[in-house]
Amino acid sequence: MTVLHSREKLTLANELIYEIKVQDAMTRKLIFFSQDATFREIQSSLKKNRISGVPILDKTKNIVGIVSIDNVITALDKDYINDKVKNYMTRQVITIPQNYSLVSAIKKFEHYKFGRLPVTKNARSSEVIGILTMGDILNCLLVSIQTIAEKVEKKEAQNTRLSEKMIEQVHKKHLRFEVKKADFDNAGRVASIIRKYLQKLNIDKQILRRVAIICYEAEMNINIHSLGGYITVEVDESNIMITAIDYGPGIPDVEEAMKPGFTTASEQIRALGFGAGMGLPNIKKCADHLDLESSMETGTILKATIYLGE
Amino acid sequence: MMKIKDIVAILDAEVLVGENYLNQEIEEFAASDLLSDVLALSKENFLLLTSLTSQQVVRTAEIAGGIGVVFVRGKTPEQEAIGLARSHHIPLLMTSKSTFDACRKIVEAKNKQEKL
Repeated sequence: MTVLHSREKLTLANELIYEIKVQDAMTRKLIFFSQDATFREIQSSLKKNRISGVPILDKTKNIVGIVSIDNVITALDKDYINDKVKNYMTRQVITIPQNYSLVSAIKKFEHYKFGRLPVTKNARSSEVIGILTMGDILNCLLVSIQTIAEKVEKKEAQNTRLSEKMIEQVHKKHLRFEVKKADFDNAGRVASIIRKYLQKLNIDKQILRRVAIICYEAEMNINIHSLGGYITVEVDESNIMITAIDYGPGIPDVEEAMKPGFTTASEQIRALGFGAGMGLPNIKKCADHLDLESSMETGTILKATIYLGE
Repeated sequence: MMKIKDIVAILDAEVLVGENYLNQEIEEFAASDLLSDVLALSKENFLLLTSLTSQQVVRTAEIAGGIGVVFVRGKTPEQEAIGLARSHHIPLLMTSKSTFDACRKIVEAKNKQEKL
């Protein structure tokens, strides 16, 4: 697995080799021979298909042996290249069931030093349905890793469409977004959608940035500290009003929470780059007016206003 | 004024995403592992140097108007970060240099540029 060089990617690849099954990575287009084939026939097939071995199957596709390039070379050397493989092929074939995870396949490759493993229907069957090489595994991993990035891209495209749809709706209507607790993968989604929405409304770039930062910080606060909540945005001729409401547990000391650097965030959250104790101070800096009410019974209401006028 | 493509050369960096967006001019540099500090920057069009690798780094750049991110110490970002960067046309660079060394190189190059 030398292609995936960094530590982080290796961790991801590690997760994937447990998740992905042999059947997802294997080649289904099977090149095989019967035991009546000659080494010569197999040699030309190996050359033509650029492969290094073929399984030998009986009429019901059960595996009876395997012939590798090594076997062919020996046949050339010992001068039985035109003989049938029946009497010379490797009969002790190591196979892998299709429902096993890639990690067992990799272990087998490492242990036996084979280039390919015939894949069987299940652990008790010897019916071959595909073939697996390290190349197949690598390919499958690279595709899976790529898919993760593509999924995010698709989601972002959806967000863009969503913000476009909103513009078609009435201006003064509330825009309302649910924010779940501890949903870090989606954190920033609301801010991103609102940013695009305001962009389309031709709002000044600096104001756009301030609104987006307020939304992002408020969203992170709900995400990190609360039990969940929602954010609404109202735009009219003279103001943009951002309201962030959560369902608790409330801020024990609002004054202290407003101090730059004060934080109650966990190590885990700080490792993500958050919890610097700058959230509320940042919101205050970006807003023209800020109201913050918090109750230990009902939760926190944050109202930030930005003036659009001169 | 420096462009992102200048930084690629200065830091000996690998461009992970956004080859086509390296011509943008950098108005401000920021080196931080605290995203709220990045949000507190007063200027847009900044280049962020960080050792964080989460997708939130890219999200923060997007929200605050950053034009590129450099991952230091050869750290590779999460795949989610790469997807986000592609969507928002934010170039992601990776350098094997530490934050300190990277900053030093940039300052040296800037000084040289000003003298000319």
